[in-house]
Amino acid sequence: MRALNKNTVWGYLFASPWIVGFLLFGLYPILVSFWYSLCQYDVLRIPQYIGLRNYRELLFEDHYFYTAVWNTLFYTLVRTPLVIVGSLLLAMLVSKAVRGVRLFRTIYFIPSIISGVILSVLWMWLLNPEYGLVNSTLQFFGLQGPLWLIDPRWSKPAIILMSVWSLGGGRMLVFLAAIQNVPKHFYEAVEMDGGGWWARFRHVTLPFISPVLFLWFIFEIIGSLQVFVEAYVMTKGGPLNSTLFYNLYLYNKAFDDFDMGYASALAWLLFILAGIITLIQFRVSRKWVYYSGGVGK
Amino acid sequence: MARRRVVKYWFVAGVKDNIPLCVQLFNAAQESIRVVSTPIPWNEHEKKVLTAILSGDPPDVVNLVTPVPKWAARKALVALDPAITRDHFDTTRFFPSLWQEMSYRGRTYALPAYTGSYALFYNRRLLREAGLDPDRPPANWQEIQDYSRRLTRRENGRIVRMGFIPQYGTIETPLIIAFEQGARFIDPAGTRVQLTAPEVVSALQWERDFFDLYTVEEVSAFMGGFGYGNQQGFIAEKVALFINDNSFIDQIARYHPELDYGVAMIPAWGEGPSASSAGSWWLAIPRGAKNREDAWTFMKFVVSRETQLAESMSRDETLFPVNRFAANDSDFLGMHRYMAIFSRQMEQTRSKSIVPLVHDIFWREFSLARERSLRGVMSPEQALGQAERTIQAFLDRALEYDRYVDARMETTEF
Repeated sequence: MRALNKNTVWGYLFASPWIVGFLLFGLYPILVSFWYSLCQYDVLRIPQYIGLRNYRELLFEDHYFYTAVWNTLFYTLVRTPLVIVGSLLLAMLVSKAVRGVRLFRTIYFIPSIISGVILSVLWMWLLNPEYGLVNSTLQFFGLQGPLWLIDPRWSKPAIILMSVWSLGGGRMLVFLAAIQNVPKHFYEAVEMDGGGWWARFRHVTLPFISPVLFLWFIFEIIGSLQVFVEAYVMTKGGPLNSTLFYNLYLYNKAFDDFDMGYASALAWLLFILAGIITLIQFRVSRKWVYYSGGVGK
Repeated sequence: MARRRVVKYWFVAGVKDNIPLCVQLFNAAQESIRVVSTPIPWNEHEKKVLTAILSGDPPDVVNLVTPVPKWAARKALVALDPAITRDHFDTTRFFPSLWQEMSYRGRTYALPAYTGSYALFYNRRLLREAGLDPDRPPANWQEIQDYSRRLTRRENGRIVRMGFIPQYGTIETPLIIAFEQGARFIDPAGTRVQLTAPEVVSALQWERDFFDLYTVEEVSAFMGGFGYGNQQGFIAEKVALFINDNSFIDQIARYHPELDYGVAMIPAWGEGPSASSAGSWWLAIPRGAKNREDAWTFMKFVVSRETQLAESMSRDETLFPVNRFAANDSDFLGMHRYMAIFSRQMEQTRSKSIVPLVHDIFWREFSLARERSLRGVMSPEQALGQAERTIQAFLDRALEYDRYVDARMETTEF
């Protein structure tokens, strides 16, 4: 008993850098931001308690709030399925035992290690309407490319297009591992029943990797809701607010306007939105996610 | 030897500046105070200073460029009036618009340090080529349109050169036009935004008329090919008329020394006076700074005629002095044949600090209104009306908070 206690103490002691760090720099700011969301507060001066007014103004008076929500949802709903399916296809390709497959895996992975800011600057040139590689390529095939980041109709698709860059990143690797973990004898069973590649994929691969797909759907949706760097570096929210994403608006309010109370309220609303979406995903997941151990039922 | 008292000095810098010349000169000029300078990167510099003030241990002097009132309104700076009065410090040495920008609600919070003066650059070769007199640059905005029309060239339907582009450069063309017509943008009490005033509407209308011959998209695509250095639009001779600050002379000298160009006053609105907009780098003592007395001594040193001259002329890209005596000194004017125009233009500038409590919102909305009007989403009146309502809503909020704080928080005095 004594030994156990001692071990527990040591355990906590070893974990204490993380615990203290979390309490001080994680939990405390989160709690305090809730308090500030009920205030007018510009950091340099004392906070003024105003109750739920920030929330009320956001929801009922601030039209930029809805612009930002719409832009962000559009980005999330279009991008998430694209990157999940894209990475899955890529993972299936590189799961084949062909010569040089390791090399391909590496080549596909490399782009994803480039940082967001550098990537954004790079894509600004790729998407340049006059000199960019994207439109030059389109022109080669006789197509007139759009103005991408300059055109409010194309700016969001342009930023979504950037996501193809990271298709071969960590997400592909996890999918690859999941695919390789599917027990081989199930495939053999399908073959004996005369099933083709589609049946193998639909009835064996997909059910087995569905928990991994589900997890990444949640990751990607939460991540997409927080899209920021691309718009911050490339468009500053323009043209005509077409890339004013939620977190960019939050950033403008907090760090350009010093309106921390308002920005905190924005943060909490995003938290609630992400929570709702995740909850819906968990509900829907019962219909399509298969846990081989019977967990999650 | 007695130990020197230390003044901590933070300045926003590029990579090249190690110890600014004014600090070197100050440390060499006397023996009781030592200024220790720390460069802070441009990105996030406001946040860095903000957190330093909050920590309670800020530097003794900061050198910043975002409007003083934006900081002063938030009680981040020490009011300098007692020191100015005590030392009979002469404030008429500063260009009037720069000096005005140092105060908020009748109190002074900073000293201007360096600025840039804007004027019109014109390409003499291209003017000649278009059959225009190279010694007669456009003098008003109507002429800018006429000249631009004759200077613009298309090849296969695509723009390959433009006379003038209202969006190109850091200066906002419609803002200048509105300034020239005397627009105030806000009522004297500073509580009602007035963006729909006729002077502002006509400025946006001018910009929209300018685009009668071009679409926003084709001009944006054309500008997409511009870059820095020799890729800069004016330097690459893709734009013939361009408003920029005096340091542009140094850039032309570096990247295209043979360019045949001239500098003229910024075009006027009709027969009225020419105007420009300017802000300056400034020095201030943050709230909570420990060594205020020595900080003030250093600040006075930086804005003296001698230091201003030495520092201005030592740079690769000339800084414009805030001190009028330095700006009109024969040594300074002798640096370049066009320097006198920049000095004259500097006397006719207005400040961009219009609504300090919601400064960034104001300028975001102003840009958005321009964009909406140019792209034809709204008429200039509608676009400005919408911007006005948005700014007003946030200003009302900010004013309410301001009243709450004013009753509970003191301004720090020198």
